[in-house]
Amino acid sequence: MSYPLSGNTAKRMLIASIFPFALLAASAQAQNTDHDKGPWQSRWSSGEELYEKVCSQCHDPKVGVGTAIQGRVLPVEYVKFIVRNGFNAMPSFQASYIDDESIAMVAEYLSSLPAPAAQP
Amino acid sequence: MAEQNNAVLPKGVVQQEFNKAVEKFRTLLGEDNVLVNADQLVPYNKIMMSAENADHAPSAALTATTVEQIQGILKVCNEHKIPIWTISTGRNFGYGSAAPVQRGQVILDLKKMNKILEIDPVMCYALVEPGVTYGQLYDYIEENNLPLMLSFSAPSAIAGPLGNTMDRGVGYTPYGEHFMMQCGMEVVMANGDVYRTGMGGVEGSNTWQIFKWGYGPTLDGMFTQANYGITTKMGFWLMPKPPVYKPFEVIFENEDDITEIVEMLRPLRISGTIPNSVVVANILWEAGSGNVRRSDYTTEPGHTPDSVLKKIQKDTGMGAWNLYAALYGTKEQVDVNWKIVTDAFKKLGKGRIVTQEEAGDTQPFKYRAELMSGVPNLQEFGLYNWRGGGGSMWFAPVSAARGDECKKQARLAKRILHKYGLDYVAEFIVAPRDMHHVIDVLYDRSNAEEKKRADECFGELLDEFEKEGYAVYRVNTRFQERVARSYGPVKRDLEHAIKRALDPNNILAPGRSGIDLDTYKKV
Repeated sequence: MSYPLSGNTAKRMLIASIFPFALLAASAQAQNTDHDKGPWQSRWSSGEELYEKVCSQCHDPKVGVGTAIQGRVLPVEYVKFIVRNGFNAMPSFQASYIDDESIAMVAEYLSSLPAPAAQP
Repeated sequence: MAEQNNAVLPKGVVQQEFNKAVEKFRTLLGEDNVLVNADQLVPYNKIMMSAENADHAPSAALTATTVEQIQGILKVCNEHKIPIWTISTGRNFGYGSAAPVQRGQVILDLKKMNKILEIDPVMCYALVEPGVTYGQLYDYIEENNLPLMLSFSAPSAIAGPLGNTMDRGVGYTPYGEHFMMQCGMEVVMANGDVYRTGMGGVEGSNTWQIFKWGYGPTLDGMFTQANYGITTKMGFWLMPKPPVYKPFEVIFENEDDITEIVEMLRPLRISGTIPNSVVVANILWEAGSGNVRRSDYTTEPGHTPDSVLKKIQKDTGMGAWNLYAALYGTKEQVDVNWKIVTDAFKKLGKGRIVTQEEAGDTQPFKYRAELMSGVPNLQEFGLYNWRGGGGSMWFAPVSAARGDECKKQARLAKRILHKYGLDYVAEFIVAPRDMHHVIDVLYDRSNAEEKKRADECFGELLDEFEKEGYAVYRVNTRFQERVARSYGPVKRDLEHAIKRALDPNNILAPGRSGIDLDTYKKV
């Protein structure tokens, strides 16, 4: 058995074949123009976003690569230390990748989550 | 004003001269973008190689946001002979991560240059800055419902296309040979010139991301794995998302099956029946990325015995070799190719085929299927838990896509790794004619004795493979000078002649791929 694309995507491809200019108009001309708007801003708009896009890729209990970190009320200074230094195979992240404010947001977000259920 | 306090200087640069350069960097970039304190620099010094961190410690890091700032930085570097090491996202794990090849180099961090400049869903290409990540691109494509598919390496969620392509990394889709899909670069040269490859130099051109070759010499390749310029924009082609995608796995029970696997695969890859960069992963790669840990089976030091590997196979249903491939296209195309593929395996009489319906959400099938369809994840980092301790170096010799050659390389690598008490954790990434034989030299970096063993092991792997006429396609910064020697003196002379012409002050990443005007032929 095979997996067709979602209905929306299939429709989009149909539109593209009939109305190529419709997609041309949608052609992405620049996104996240941080430094066109003045001082550079972090990509991360919330702790939840940072967790979902980066941390959870290893630390989500369902992934099981990194230790679960949600709901453990980890102090922000501890989170920052691990993010900046890395730990064993966990990579370090420089401030240009994850800034201090975003670390604080993600620490707060992690504390707001329930602890994962204990493993049998 | 904060003074540098990490006591590291670039080679041959005295503190007073360095301080002058730092002041100029501050004037140019602002205080916040000139990092000189130890706590600011520590993230740039996290390495997985068998080297001392001190040998790869930066003296400072600069974050730039525009091409003009980079030109200004290069002017200062030329004036004060400051060597810089450029990173895009700094995620080159197992190849040196973000750390400079030589102690004291100033890191030029381009992560803040994170604009997706253009995605054209009709011509199917993207133009990006160095700090753009695959995860960022994936989100953009999804949010805008664009009918496009990414190709990336396993650290997909957090790494980026420009850095990966400049290091000639590979992915797992039909567009998996990333440098082949690159189209158009913007490069800042050491003298500040801004050079655009291909059609990029033609005023008013709208084919910079369309036609690779331009006119006259085509120079894109000389900027990859090199230190001749700083790439600030890169175009690359994107695969149209196919109407139908069909991933599958084929499980082989015996280690010696690799010969027949490769012989069967080659014609299917050359004909394009299987279009993507197929992976053939051995039991330990499969187990590690599937969250099996060595400590689940043994706590004995040294390499893991074959009897344990067989036990893992028996317990998990994993193969000695595990082949992952996919078909893409219309239903009719996929159906036809599926018949050809399944007929080939039937004829071989070996291999148990697993479809997505059968695998469900089990790992490692799930993450492999995601990688082959451009969905980012970091599941493969489970490999690092196999032995633990954070040590990882990729030993990646090129092999011809011939069964006997792959078997010979696998045996040779396993013998050497076992001699040093380490495991053969490997996958072959299958191109039509070549194999990237990627071996993860995993070791406990927190154990000084094991780190030393891993270091000696890596050196012997390079030496012994070289005796057989093999060499790696890419290597971590500790061994780049060593590997440069494998490729012969004429190439090195030519590379240094180019370096002298383009970067006479040797400011751009000296030591990258063994290219360094200060040391070459001066010892």
